[in-house]
Amino acid sequence: METPRPMLEADGLTKRYEDGNLALDHVSFDVYPGQVYAMLGGNGAGKTTAINLFLNFIEPTDGEARVDGIATHKEPLKAKEKLAYVSENVMLYPNFTALQNLDFFARLGGNTKYSKDDYRQVLLRVGLEEEAHNRRLKGYSKGMRQKCGIAISILKNAPAILLDEPTSGLDPKAAVEFIRLLESLREEGKAILMSTHDIFRAKEVADVVGIMNEGNLVMQRSREELVGEDLEKLYVEYMTGYMDEVA
Amino acid sequence: MFRLLVEKELREIIGTTKFAVTFGVCSVLILLAFYVGARNFQVSQAEYEAARAENIKQMEGLTDWGRIDHRIFLPPQPLTTLVSGISNDIGRTTEMQTQGELRSENSRFNEDPIFAVFRFLDLEFIFSIVMSLFAILFAYDAINGEKERGTLRLSFANPVPRATYILSKLVGAFLALGVPLLIPILIGCVMLPLMGIPMTGSAWGRLAMVVLAGYLYLGVFLTLSVFVSALTEKSSNSFLLLLVIWIFAVLIIPRTAVLISGRAVDVPSIDKVNYDKNRYMAQLWLEDREKMQNYSRENPPSQDGDMQAWMDDFRAFMSELSDVRNEKMSDFGGRLNEERRNRELVQQRLALGIARLSPTSVFSLASTDLSGTSLDLKERYIEAANRYQETYAQFIREKTGSAGGFMFTMRGGQDEEEPPPIDPYELPVFEYEEPSSTTLINDSLFDLGLLVLFNIVFFAGAFVAFLRYDVR
Amino acid sequence: MFATLFEKELKAILLSPKFVATFGVCSLLILLSVFIGVQEYKAGVDQYDTAMQLAEQEVREATSWWGVNNRAYRQPNPMQIFASGVNNDIGRLSNISTWTEVKLQQSAYLDNSLFAVFRFIDFTFIVQVVLSLFAILFTYNAINGERESGTLKLTFSNAVPRGQYMLAKFLGAWVGLVVPLLIPITLALLIVVVLQVPMTGVEWSKLLTLIGVSILYFTFFIMLGLLVSALTKRSTVSFLVLLVVWVLFVLILPRAATMAAGQIIEVPSVAEVESQKDRYRTDRWTAYGEERSAKWRERMEPAEGMNEEERTQFLEERRPQWMQEDDDDRQVMQEEIAEFERKVNEDLRNRKAEQERLAFVLSRFSPSSSYQLATMNLAGTNTTLKTRYEESMKAYRTAFAQFVEAKRIEERKKLMEQQRGQRRVMIFGGGEEALDVSELPRYEAPSHTFPEAFGPSVIDVGLLALFSVICFGGAFVSFLRYDVR
Repeated sequence: METPRPMLEADGLTKRYEDGNLALDHVSFDVYPGQVYAMLGGNGAGKTTAINLFLNFIEPTDGEARVDGIATHKEPLKAKEKLAYVSENVMLYPNFTALQNLDFFARLGGNTKYSKDDYRQVLLRVGLEEEAHNRRLKGYSKGMRQKCGIAISILKNAPAILLDEPTSGLDPKAAVEFIRLLESLREEGKAILMSTHDIFRAKEVADVVGIMNEGNLVMQRSREELVGEDLEKLYVEYMTGYMDEVA
Repeated sequence: MFRLLVEKELREIIGTTKFAVTFGVCSVLILLAFYVGARNFQVSQAEYEAARAENIKQMEGLTDWGRIDHRIFLPPQPLTTLVSGISNDIGRTTEMQTQGELRSENSRFNEDPIFAVFRFLDLEFIFSIVMSLFAILFAYDAINGEKERGTLRLSFANPVPRATYILSKLVGAFLALGVPLLIPILIGCVMLPLMGIPMTGSAWGRLAMVVLAGYLYLGVFLTLSVFVSALTEKSSNSFLLLLVIWIFAVLIIPRTAVLISGRAVDVPSIDKVNYDKNRYMAQLWLEDREKMQNYSRENPPSQDGDMQAWMDDFRAFMSELSDVRNEKMSDFGGRLNEERRNRELVQQRLALGIARLSPTSVFSLASTDLSGTSLDLKERYIEAANRYQETYAQFIREKTGSAGGFMFTMRGGQDEEEPPPIDPYELPVFEYEEPSSTTLINDSLFDLGLLVLFNIVFFAGAFVAFLRYDVR
Repeated sequence: MFATLFEKELKAILLSPKFVATFGVCSLLILLSVFIGVQEYKAGVDQYDTAMQLAEQEVREATSWWGVNNRAYRQPNPMQIFASGVNNDIGRLSNISTWTEVKLQQSAYLDNSLFAVFRFIDFTFIVQVVLSLFAILFTYNAINGERESGTLKLTFSNAVPRGQYMLAKFLGAWVGLVVPLLIPITLALLIVVVLQVPMTGVEWSKLLTLIGVSILYFTFFIMLGLLVSALTKRSTVSFLVLLVVWVLFVLILPRAATMAAGQIIEVPSVAEVESQKDRYRTDRWTAYGEERSAKWRERMEPAEGMNEEERTQFLEERRPQWMQEDDDDRQVMQEEIAEFERKVNEDLRNRKAEQERLAFVLSRFSPSSSYQLATMNLAGTNTTLKTRYEESMKAYRTAFAQFVEAKRIEERKKLMEQQRGQRRVMIFGGGEEALDVSELPRYEAPSHTFPEAFGPSVIDVGLLALFSVICFGGAFVSFLRYDVR
């Protein structure tokens, strides 16, 4: 069988900020349809920078990020049509209800045909109770807002999904539900790039795990390769190993 | 404990860029107000001197005291330009006459409407805007902001009495905002004598009182802000609420109060009063004319007799008539004026009573009282002018032998000796004396007291609200 | 896409609790200001009507044309309800007589100083101060607020062009804030109609233009809010910046500019100028008196040595002609005095105009003063209100003086007829019966056409538009490079 084309490609992706800080140093990886790629790493490792490059929120210093073969910094709008995004701690519009927020972002994503029922179904799917659907978001807890954000990304029905710390703010039960949701999205053939601190969940769901440190992709293993390995130990090893190197 | 909290408050306010920016702007504005006030005083003083000199000059060379045009002017006072009050709206020039009602004219805004377009930038204006905005900007989130940041829970995880906490909040904020503001104010004060403004001891004292009133006013808005912030959960709400209150206090209440009382209390229009006076005057004149007509008929000058003697008699007769007429006239006019004045006072009391709902009006009334530019200025000027009128009339009477007013001079066809020119410097000089500082300070006491009361009420409100505040 | 963005923007404004509060306050204030304005205007009209009647009454009750004193009043103008300008600061009336020159005196604030203490509140003031503040309140976090709440990232993870986003932002904010305002404004216009304020077509068009300019001014502050919010990362910073800018624009710059102009260009004070004029007038009258005495001596020379009978005869024959000559001389002199006064006044006015120009140029750095100047020009309550009225009153004075002068000569002729033959009777005043004033020319307030009103405000309207466009351009450009993270 012919290998499918990667949906998300990082090709020698490099970002040096104006203040000289090298946030990403020639990082390359691919995410295929039906695959979940988990980026692990400490704060400031470059995970969010990578996601921002895919969204063209920043311009790459070198290399490029491609979505379905489209370089994001060359044709950002075209690339973004194929992307859905969940950010960490999104506040959304506090004076809008969940339905209103969903409606707005669905339309922005180019989907104008959804009905209220569709929205309700998605909200139920991400675990938001019926009674909350018509409430303004300013009364929501952090976790409820996060669920809303996830619902928005599902509604866009894009082939690639970028998740920036999606489980932050979710309680354990919700986090488990979220993993189930990711699995079902993978079934649908989505390419999913997720940055996370949560090693256990990453191991549970990820097809490929990449560990980042100081802007470098220091390790990348597939699910098969990780069988029998202690991911946590690996993580600490790679991090401290790098630290030793620096020292 | 208290010290620690106050210290934290000071550090929290003064360390921010917000403070640096607003303090910079406020300092510039306060300095500007002082500078502009001083310059204004210089200009007004020069204008005043020039007008007086010109007034004397135009009399030089005249030979008849009965024919002079004499004007008196309201001299500028150093504090007037710092707190202008109504000084630009009332007439500065008064045409002097030996009898009859005096009327002041040429208000600055009438003569130079350009200044009326945007009005003046004086210390009182700057204070009422700057002090209040400053207070709101730094205290709107005093309580609920700490809650939002979670520091309130943290603080009260320690054995901190709530009363100490709220008191330290206020004291800290007051010191942090008030003490730095003293710098531009003091520089401004130094500027005054350097720019040659003749500040008397009384003026200094009253200026200090104005600044004190300004600080009380700052206190009002500080306590109010803390109060509101202890009543609301979210800092964005308290800010919005405070901004609305600010607009009402600074811009809306004072103006509407006056306009409402203007509608509620009827004051006879000045035109009506003038008309009544003119009419009465015309009536008196009509009666007297009869008498004059009859005089020449009843006492014809003797055919051969002394024309001069007849003229003197006639002049005496005329003078008497005119005296009687003027007395009647001034009685009548005085009564009308008093009636109008009484109505005006009722209107004024109502207007200022409503306006005093706003601390800004209270501050403005206190500071104009202190600097002698309150509504009383108009009355005081007219009174001073009236007193001067007596001296002046006396002087002219001595010089011309006539009561003035009705000048009946007869120039015969005969050659007369050219009378010597008059010396205009002999004219009594009009001196406007500001009332004593005790009077002015007494006038302002009520409003100063009100400011203190506002402070107490809002503080009590903040205190009570905070005692029941949910710190979670 | 655009529609979606626009709709969201609109909703975000209308749904916020802030909106309810501010909209309520604005509506209340606008209605209040117009209501008070109408009441003040009506009171002004009443006062004006009475004053006119009284002035006429006074003329009618005079018994001699020599004692006639007339007054001309400034007519209240319905536009002052919306933009009172300097209406209350400049005099309401001028004495019209052959002896004194035209000068507006007794301003409303001079007569009723109470009203000067806190000044006036009108529609323009509400728009200038309150609405601008509210425009800032709604736009200060337009961009950076969305960044802070993370929605900016979420939005731009979609295929949204920045230009469209910005345009939708602006249009949404504009429609969301302006359209609701039209409600109280319409109600205010309704008040004007219901309370039967006599508005002419010209005044309606001025008023509608004024409302248009108000909206333009409001637009400027919306743009300014967008600009600052697109220039800063944090909404607290942008709010602080905007508040400082607002204080400067609305409260400080206009005042500082006029005061600076006052310092730079010095204008002689009125008191000085008046004294100058007095001096000239006194000199001329003294000279005239002396000349006349000399003339009479000369004229009576031939009568030297005549007996009483002949002397009277001599005098009676020539007196009418001589008095005519004296009158002519006096008129020449009075014209010269008027000419001198005109020259002095013109000098003064030129200096003042220069000062005013400078003041206005300086103040126009602030859109707030541009707005105020534009509305005052439209309403006819600008600084030229004074000169406009004084000019027309001068013209009236000339007509009045000619009329009265003719009447006086007539009157004297009549008196001399009556006197003929009588000996040495003093004359005080004229006849017994009231004067016939039906032919007396009446004072008509100067008209102020729409082009006259709009002409001078074109520059300010243009400036406002320019300021708005610059702000929007700036906001647009800076947003294109805005870091949405």
